[in-house]
Amino acid sequence: MIDIEDVHVRYPDGCVALAGVSFRVPKGQFCVILGPSGSGKSTLLRTVNGLVTPTTGQIAVGGVTVERKTLPLLRPTIGMIHQHFGLVDRLSAATNIISGALPAISLARAALGLFPERHRRKTCELMAAVGLGPEHLRRRVRDMSGGQQQRVGIARAFMLDPSVILADEPVASLDPKISAEVLRLLRDQAKSRGATVLCSLHQIDLARAFADRIIALGGGRVVFDGAPDQLSTSHLARIYGAAPLSNAMSDFTREPEPVS
Amino acid sequence: MTPPSSQAPPADWRFSPPYDARRLALALIAVLVLLFTGARVEIDRMLALSADGMLATVGLKDDSQVAKGFATIGHQMFPLVIAERTETSRIENFDPEHLPPLARLETVESQVETLNPDTLQTDYSIERSQYLVEPFGYLSHVALKLIETLEIALWGTVLAVILAVPLAILGARNLTPHPVARVAARTVVSFFRSIPELISALFLVLAYGFGPIAGVLALAFHAAGFLGKFYAEDIENTDPRAQEALGAIGAGRLKVLIYAILPQVAPQYIAYTLYVLDRNVRMATVIGLVGAGGIGQELKGRYDMYNYGHVATILLAIFLLVVALDQLSIRLRQRMLN
Repeated sequence: MIDIEDVHVRYPDGCVALAGVSFRVPKGQFCVILGPSGSGKSTLLRTVNGLVTPTTGQIAVGGVTVERKTLPLLRPTIGMIHQHFGLVDRLSAATNIISGALPAISLARAALGLFPERHRRKTCELMAAVGLGPEHLRRRVRDMSGGQQQRVGIARAFMLDPSVILADEPVASLDPKISAEVLRLLRDQAKSRGATVLCSLHQIDLARAFADRIIALGGGRVVFDGAPDQLSTSHLARIYGAAPLSNAMSDFTREPEPVS
Repeated sequence: MTPPSSQAPPADWRFSPPYDARRLALALIAVLVLLFTGARVEIDRMLALSADGMLATVGLKDDSQVAKGFATIGHQMFPLVIAERTETSRIENFDPEHLPPLARLETVESQVETLNPDTLQTDYSIERSQYLVEPFGYLSHVALKLIETLEIALWGTVLAVILAVPLAILGARNLTPHPVARVAARTVVSFFRSIPELISALFLVLAYGFGPIAGVLALAFHAAGFLGKFYAEDIENTDPRAQEALGAIGAGRLKVLIYAILPQVAPQYIAYTLYVLDRNVRMATVIGLVGAGGIGQELKGRYDMYNYGHVATILLAIFLLVVALDQLSIRLRQRMLN
């Protein structure tokens, strides 16, 4: 579903974010991109929907090469979930979710707020699917908790039945318990709707618990690619630097890594 | 100055105190500038005259220019003129059977001295003139002028918003189609803002003639300069994450504008626009002085005719209007922001 071929990204300031990344994600897989801050996870996700253009290399989604002229067609088929939710916090949950359907309607309809009935139905259906009751429809997003906001973000991402979901650190600003709930929700929704997920995470235990496959990035390269149970302590030591990990599950209690 | 490396012991770390010689020097320069400029705008004379005036008011001094000036104005301003008195012979098609509501007729007899050319003696004759007295005539005239002033302010604001929105979109860094368009829009906005209403009204009166058109346009141009700047800055300060989120799924620029930017800036826009309306009402009273319609034109006319009683009525009416408007806009703003 997603083909990434020898992608290099060098930012104008000279910083090399990706130095030759290649892998393929088959349809329906929940693929977690793991790695410390600055390892290029976000950049990698953002090349898939063209928010970042690779310096060299190619990406194809569903067999269509990601490039300037295919983006208008591709983007509505790629849902995105953001670390800071990317919601308009003065608007209601329902408006935020239904705005996920904006690419599918005309500008005139958008300006008048005339979303078709199927989008309105879909909004309610997705609200229910992410575990928010009808009392939340009119609630302003800024009055909601972080976990509820990300549920709204997930509902918005599924609005146009995307074939691919990019989740950029979807739980980085949530507490561990809510993180697990939100990731479970994301995985279940993706599985039931047949969406392929590329999800970046930095918590190892969450990656192990939810991923079909883990791809670890370090210094802009793939340093591990395999099933979660193949991820060993020595791999982790390589991914996260020299700090020995006595227990990979105690991700939250670990001593902070030295900032490079 | 390079900070000491983190290897240095904390005892060797240094940071500058909140007040240092440089800041004291700046304060000293500020004081010198104020002293110099104060002498040039006669602050010393102002203080002396005001002190004289105050002493004279409490009776410690016999004579004061300021106190006399205020007393003269105050004396002439009262009583306020509420009624209107018009000689009926000056009213076209006057119909004594159908008087306006509350109006009455008054007949005044006056002795007129005339020199008889035949006898070279002074003749006395009684001349009668009839007046139409409307007890609230002048007040209602002022009220009508105030409404005209409000209308000028309203339309000045409406046109300003219509001008400012496209200028703001072109002038905002994150929405402008091209950097050149941004500079052009910003230049136009600065130009609008740099011309005071009173000055542009002077020229617009020459172009459009006396009356409200010049007033509306003068207010609109200046306010567009103000709104264009603040609308654009608000667009630039919006949270980019929501915009990116909608852009990432392929929503076009205008849809992002409507669904991510507009909801974020709307409360501020309403606040700015209400402020401009408020300011325009106050300015609309002033620009009438140069003939651009509204209550100011009436004020100027009465002032030039030394009708200070009328002037006082107008000033009081303007004051009440501004207070009322202030209360209204506070309430509106609170409701909008919640």
